[in-house]
Amino acid sequence: MANFVFRRLLIAIPTLWLIASVIFLLSKLMPGAFGSAHLAEQEAGYYSRGDAASRDRNYRQFLETTGQDRPLFYFSITSAALPDSLHRVFPERDRDFLSRISWQYGNPEAAAVFFRSLKLWEASLTESELQQVQKYLFAIYSHQSPAQLQQAIAGMARQLPSNTGLWNDIIESSEHLIVNSSGYTYLFPSAQWHGTQNQYHRWLSDLIQGSLGNSLRDGRPVTMVLSEAIGNTWWLLLASIVIATLLAMELAILMVRRSGRVWRSTLLPSLFLLDSVPLFVLAMVLLVLLANPAFLQLFPVYGMGYYNTYDASWLQQVSQWLQFMTLPMICLVLANLSYLTNQFYQAVAAVAGQDFIRTARAKGLSEQVVIRRHMLRNALLPVITLLSDFLPALVAGAVVIETVFAIPGVGRLLIDAVLSRDYPVIVGIVVVVAVFRLLSHLLSDLLYSMADPRVRSQAS
Amino acid sequence: MKNLWHILQLQWQSAPAFRLSLLYLTLLTVLALALPWLPLAYGPNDLDLDQIYQAPFGWKAEADKPRHWLGTDGLGRDVLANILYGARTAFAISLPVMAMASLIGLLLGAMAGLFGNQRLQMSRAFLIALLISLVPLSYYGIYLPIQLSNYGANTVEFILTGMLAIGLSLLLVLVLRVFLRQFPVLKEKSALPADELLLRLIEVQTSIPRLVLILVLAAVAPPTLLALTVLLTLTFWTGTARLARAEMMRIRELPFFEAAISLGYTPKRLLMRHAVPHLMGPVLVAFSFGLAGLLMLESTLSFLNIGVSTDLVSWGRMIAGIRANTAAWWLVAIPGVVLSLTVLALQTFSYYVLQFLQNKK
Repeated sequence: MANFVFRRLLIAIPTLWLIASVIFLLSKLMPGAFGSAHLAEQEAGYYSRGDAASRDRNYRQFLETTGQDRPLFYFSITSAALPDSLHRVFPERDRDFLSRISWQYGNPEAAAVFFRSLKLWEASLTESELQQVQKYLFAIYSHQSPAQLQQAIAGMARQLPSNTGLWNDIIESSEHLIVNSSGYTYLFPSAQWHGTQNQYHRWLSDLIQGSLGNSLRDGRPVTMVLSEAIGNTWWLLLASIVIATLLAMELAILMVRRSGRVWRSTLLPSLFLLDSVPLFVLAMVLLVLLANPAFLQLFPVYGMGYYNTYDASWLQQVSQWLQFMTLPMICLVLANLSYLTNQFYQAVAAVAGQDFIRTARAKGLSEQVVIRRHMLRNALLPVITLLSDFLPALVAGAVVIETVFAIPGVGRLLIDAVLSRDYPVIVGIVVVVAVFRLLSHLLSDLLYSMADPRVRSQAS
Repeated sequence: MKNLWHILQLQWQSAPAFRLSLLYLTLLTVLALALPWLPLAYGPNDLDLDQIYQAPFGWKAEADKPRHWLGTDGLGRDVLANILYGARTAFAISLPVMAMASLIGLLLGAMAGLFGNQRLQMSRAFLIALLISLVPLSYYGIYLPIQLSNYGANTVEFILTGMLAIGLSLLLVLVLRVFLRQFPVLKEKSALPADELLLRLIEVQTSIPRLVLILVLAAVAPPTLLALTVLLTLTFWTGTARLARAEMMRIRELPFFEAAISLGYTPKRLLMRHAVPHLMGPVLVAFSFGLAGLLMLESTLSFLNIGVSTDLVSWGRMIAGIRANTAAWWLVAIPGVVLSLTVLALQTFSYYVLQFLQNKK
C-alpha cells in the first residue's frame, strides 16, 4: 500500500509542478510590472514633490527587493532585433519605446545608444525647456519612420539652439541609427543564458520552502490570505458532500426497492430536469425566493455575519454558521444531487441482479437487510472513485456559490484575485486546488482498499 | 454522416421527447439566425432610462414608446431583445468552440486508440529530428508573428516568417535525420507511446477543475471573444478525446477492422474510411453534452463578468442584473428558464442518441 501511495505521489508531483510553472510564467508574460501603476499614481499626486530621479530610484529599489528586475527564466530566445537587457529598463514606457525603435531599425546597439543619449539630455533640461520641446519629444516617442525622427530632431534644434556635448550625442546617435538600420534582423534568433539569477528560480525555491510570495493587493503573505479563506470553503464543501452523498444513497435505495417503481418514474425525470439548471441560476432563484423580503425572508442574504466568536459557546457558533450556510449548502447539494443519485442508482442496480442477492433473498432476509447489508457494500466500490473525482467539481461549484452569497472563502478569493490580477494569489489557489485533488485521489485509494478486501490482498 | 441521419430519423419516429427537444433547438436556431429581420422595437444594448425595472407584460406603457413585452433591467435594456440576442451569442461562442474541440479530440483520441503504446514505430533519429525542429517552428511560427503584430508589420513580413517557419523546420528534419542516422543507436526503431502521452496530457489538464482553469487563464488573457474561444477550445477537447479513444480501442478488435488491417491499408485510410464513420455516433453524444456544458459555462462566465467584455449580450449578464435589485424576479426567471430549457433540450437529445447507440450494441 505504501508503495502504491508513493507511486501516486511520484506521478502527481510533476503534474503539480508543470501546472504551477505554466501559470506563473504566463502571469509574468503579461505587460505591466506590478508597482508601475502605483508609482504612476504618485507622479500624478498634487502633494508629491519628489523629483523624477528619486522616484526612479525608489522604483528600482522596489523592483530589486521584489526580484522583478531579473530575467524571467534560465534562458531566453528572443529576436536579434530586440536588445538583450530589456528587463533592466524601467519604467515600462521607456522599455516599450526602446524595444520599438530597436525593432523598427533592426539594430539594438544603435537604438540603445540613441535611447541613452536621449534620456541623458532629457534629464539635463529644466522644467521650462522641457515645456518648449514637449511636442517634439512626443513626436520622437511615437515616430513611425526615419523622416519623422529627423524632422522632430530638427524642430528641437530650432526651439533650443544649444551646442552641448549631450545634444551632439543625440544628433550623432540618431544619424548612426538611421544609417545603420537593417531590414530583416528580426528573422534571426538570439539566445541568452541567464543562470540561476532569475525570477522563476527564485519563485520555485520559495515554493519548495513553502512560501508562495506576497499578495500584490495588500502585501500580506499568500499563505496567510489563503489560510484565512480556506476554512469557510472547507466546512461548506465537507457539509454539502456529506449531505449530498447520504441523500443520494437513500434515494438510490428508495428506487432500487421492489416497490420503488413510483419513485423511479418520478425521481429520475425530475433529477434530469434539475441537472439542466446551471448552478448560478439555481442559487439566484433560491436567493430570490427564500432570502428576499419581497417573497419569503427565511435566511439572511449575504455574507457570514459579524459576530464575536470569543464569548459564544460552540453551539451558538454552529447555529450562527448554519443560519448563513444553509442556503449555500442547499444549492450545492441540489446542484450535485442528480449526478450522484444516478451513479449510486446504477451501481446498486448493477449489484441487484447478482446471484448472492438472490441467495440472500432466498434465505428469507428482509428487503432492508438485503439492500443495506448486501447490496450497498458491493455497490460502494465504483462510488468511491466517483466521489474523489467529484471533489474538484465541488470546488468549481464553490466558486459560484461563494460569489453569489458573498462568503469569504477560496472561491471568492479566486474571483477577486482574477479581477484584480493578483497573480501570486492565483498561483497559490491553483497549487492548493491541485494538492486537494491529489489528496482526494490518495484518500479514495485508501478507502477502496478498506472497502474491498480483494484489492488489499493484491496491493500488498 | 449517413449513420447519423439514420439515428436521428429512428429516434424522431419513436421518442416524442426527442422530437420536442429537436424542435425547440431548431426554433431557437432559426430565431437567432433571423434576428436582423425580426421587428424588434429595441436593440439588446439600447438604454431606456425612463423605464427601468419594468415588470413583464405590464400594460401601462408610455404612449409614445413601443412596449417592453418582457420587461427591462436596471438600465432599461429590453429583456426580450436580450434573450434573443443572447441566444445568438451563446451559439456563436459554443458552436465553433465545440466543433473545434470535437475535431481535435476525435483526431487525437482516434490516433491514440489506433496506435496504442506499441504500434506507432519510427526511427529514433526521426523522432529526435522532429523534436528539434519544433524549436524553429515555434520561433518563426508563434513567437515572431506575435512580435510582428505587436509592432505593426505588413502582410509581406507575415508571409515571409510563415514560409520560413515551414521551410526551416522541414529542412532541419531532413538534414538532421540523415545526419543522425550515422549513429547505429539512433537508427533503431522504437515505439512512440501515443496512448500514454494522450492520457498524461488529459490528466494534467483535468487535475484543475475546468471553471478554475478558465478563470485563471482569463486573468492572463485579454478579455476578447477570440481569446475566450481559444481558451474554451483548449479546455473542452478532453471529453471527446477520451470517448473517441475508448471507442477506437473497441473498434480495433472488431473483425472487420482486423480484416482491414490485414489487407495492409495505411493508417490514414484505416482512420478515415473505417474508423471515423463508426466514431460519429459517440462524438455526436459528446458534442451535444459538451454544447450544454459550454452554454452553462459561458453564461456563468458572463454572470461573474470574467473573460468577457461587459457589452457582450448574454443570458448570464442579464441574470447578474438581479443582484442589484432582488425584487426584479423576471431578470432571473426569464433568462434562467430559457437557458435551462436549452440545456435540457441538448441533454435530452444526447440522451436519446446515447440510448440508441447502447441498444445497438
